Amino acid sequence: MKILIVEDEPKTGEYLRQGLREAGFVVDLAQTGIDGLHLAEQGDFELVILDVMLPGLNGWQVLEALRKRGLNMPAMFLTAKDQVEDRVKGLELGADDYLVKPFSFAELLARVRTILRRGKSSTENTTLKVADLELDLLRRRVSRAGKRIDLTAKEFGLLELLMRRQGEVLPRSLIASQVWDMNFDSDTNVIEVAMRRLRVKIDEGQEVKLIQTVRGMGYVLEMPEAH
Amino acid sequence: MIKNLSLTSRLTIFFTLVAATVVLGLGWLFMASADRHFLDLDRMALDDKRQLIEDILANSNSLEDARWRLGESLGHHHGLLVSIKNSSGQTLFKSKDFAFQDKPLLSVHGKVDLALQTLKSGSGEFHVIQFQAVAKYNQEEILTASLAIDAEHHQEFLDELQSSLAIYALFATMVSGVLGWIAAHQGMAPLRAMRSRAAEVSGQQLEGRMPVDAVPIEMADLARELNQMLDRLENDFRRLSEFSSDLAHELRTPISNLLTQTQVTLSIKRDACTYRDILASNAEELHRLARMVSDMLLLAKTERGVDLPLKEVFLAADDAQALIDFYEAVADDKKIVLTLEGNGPVKGDRLMFRRALSNLISNALRYARSSSCVKIIVVDRSNCTEISVENNGEDIDPILLPRLFDRFYRADQARLHLGSDGAGLGLAITKAIVEAHGGSASAFSARGTTRFTLKFPQ
Repeated sequence: MKILIVEDEPKTGEYLRQGLREAGFVVDLAQTGIDGLHLAEQGDFELVILDVMLPGLNGWQVLEALRKRGLNMPAMFLTAKDQVEDRVKGLELGADDYLVKPFSFAELLARVRTILRRGKSSTENTTLKVADLELDLLRRRVSRAGKRIDLTAKEFGLLELLMRRQGEVLPRSLIASQVWDMNFDSDTNVIEVAMRRLRVKIDEGQEVKLIQTVRGMGYVLEMPEAH
Repeated sequence: MIKNLSLTSRLTIFFTLVAATVVLGLGWLFMASADRHFLDLDRMALDDKRQLIEDILANSNSLEDARWRLGESLGHHHGLLVSIKNSSGQTLFKSKDFAFQDKPLLSVHGKVDLALQTLKSGSGEFHVIQFQAVAKYNQEEILTASLAIDAEHHQEFLDELQSSLAIYALFATMVSGVLGWIAAHQGMAPLRAMRSRAAEVSGQQLEGRMPVDAVPIEMADLARELNQMLDRLENDFRRLSEFSSDLAHELRTPISNLLTQTQVTLSIKRDACTYRDILASNAEELHRLARMVSDMLLLAKTERGVDLPLKEVFLAADDAQALIDFYEAVADDKKIVLTLEGNGPVKGDRLMFRRALSNLISNALRYARSSSCVKIIVVDRSNCTEISVENNGEDIDPILLPRLFDRFYRADQARLHLGSDGAGLGLAITKAIVEAHGGSASAFSARGTTRFTLKFPQ
């Protein structure tokens, strides 16, 4: 999976490159719009992450040029401006997502994965399975080690999200947006409480704890690494 | 050019023009009257002499007799000239200075014109009449008499009068110009006073006000409006500077914590686990800072009214229900029941609306007594929709109620460090959002019930 980052702020660019590389992507970094455009034409990128404010060509102009040349890979904008007009403009130009600075890396990573997963309908399973935890989407049932667990509708949604994206660290804001449709910086305490309650139902009394808190990042559901 | 002319100059010019017009008009009237008056005097004098001549002729027995009598009666009149001719053009009598021989004194049709004519002869100007008469000694012959009177001294008098009038007019105009300037200058004094007051106003010195009582009525309204403008500016400016100092204060503590913690960590070598812990703690702190900054940005933009929300019409209860679902777990934890009643339409930005209401619910849950009920009540009042969030808990001092919506204000300062999520911006954001929608936010607290109400116009 190749990702192109066009970001003129050297520190931000470098950290993004490092973070995405460590998350398993192949990453190229350009510091100006023109360099970015050249790189995008040559390489076979699956996603472009564009800063809006760039020297030379700005992010929108880069995207416009890309689209004119028939390059239709998904694009994601990073910007310090969070005005509605900017958002509308970016989306009109065919951007796939929009992230306002300052953003957390976990948020960016989660969104990058969402975009890259889009369109690739991985054979729609009716049951999700992680270790001995099973979630039946059709009958809306959850069981662990064969034992049925009762969940509320939102808890079910929360668990479904965690299981679909097992192994990924999901930031609180993404969880609030995906499960409750709260698309703003809401009270993060709410997610913590909901997660704690879910955890009690899933992991309490179990030897293997599947839901883990990654401090400063968010939550992840996965088989813990053997120590 | 004319647009840039000062008011004082304009008024002065106007005064001067008015004064000049009045003085010149009066002078012209005076001159015309004097002229007519002298003409009348001359006509009367000439008429007198005509009768005298007619009498003399009517009583003369011979030409010599007539000549002698005319000479006696008219010879001593200074400035009076007479000529009498018979029908064949022979001069019968003539004063020695009479110089009008060549002038065609008779009118074209042979009829005698009794009207007064003005003729110039040599250096002088004369008023002349002509008439016909018959002498006693020869009843057959019609005599034509011309009678002229010297108008020169009248004209001299009039010329003199005209020049003194002109001097007076010039002088009067100049004086009224000066007086006009003084009056205008004096009249503008309140404006200058206002200007000097305005010059004193600056960012640091917003207390100055226009002297409403000291200026004329016409300007008092302007002064009052300016004062109100200054009041608003001062208020906004004060809030702005409070805001930035609050902001600096709020940011200072977490930043210095971060800095200290990081430096302490770096001072000696530690194991990877410790580093991870410190970094995670830093990330949490930074996350809070980032959130505070974006809240501040949202607040600043919403309050400025620049970021006018996208407008759509939706039902308040739908979004309230979504928020109840969101907060369910937190409420359940405190054994609080969240209820919703009523419904009503809201026109505005749905995301903003959720955000505003979410702050109220979060607040209510935080301060509600455990095992109580938090009620969300939507009332459709036909011209507006009211959304109230009510919780049971300790009463808030009525004096503090309006301040709850201030930025960074916390009703209980003690809770500041208990890890409460908000930075004290939640209610300020709620209020800014409602106001951006043209509505209002209010708070009420008594007898163990605290209620926040948002009013959205429909």
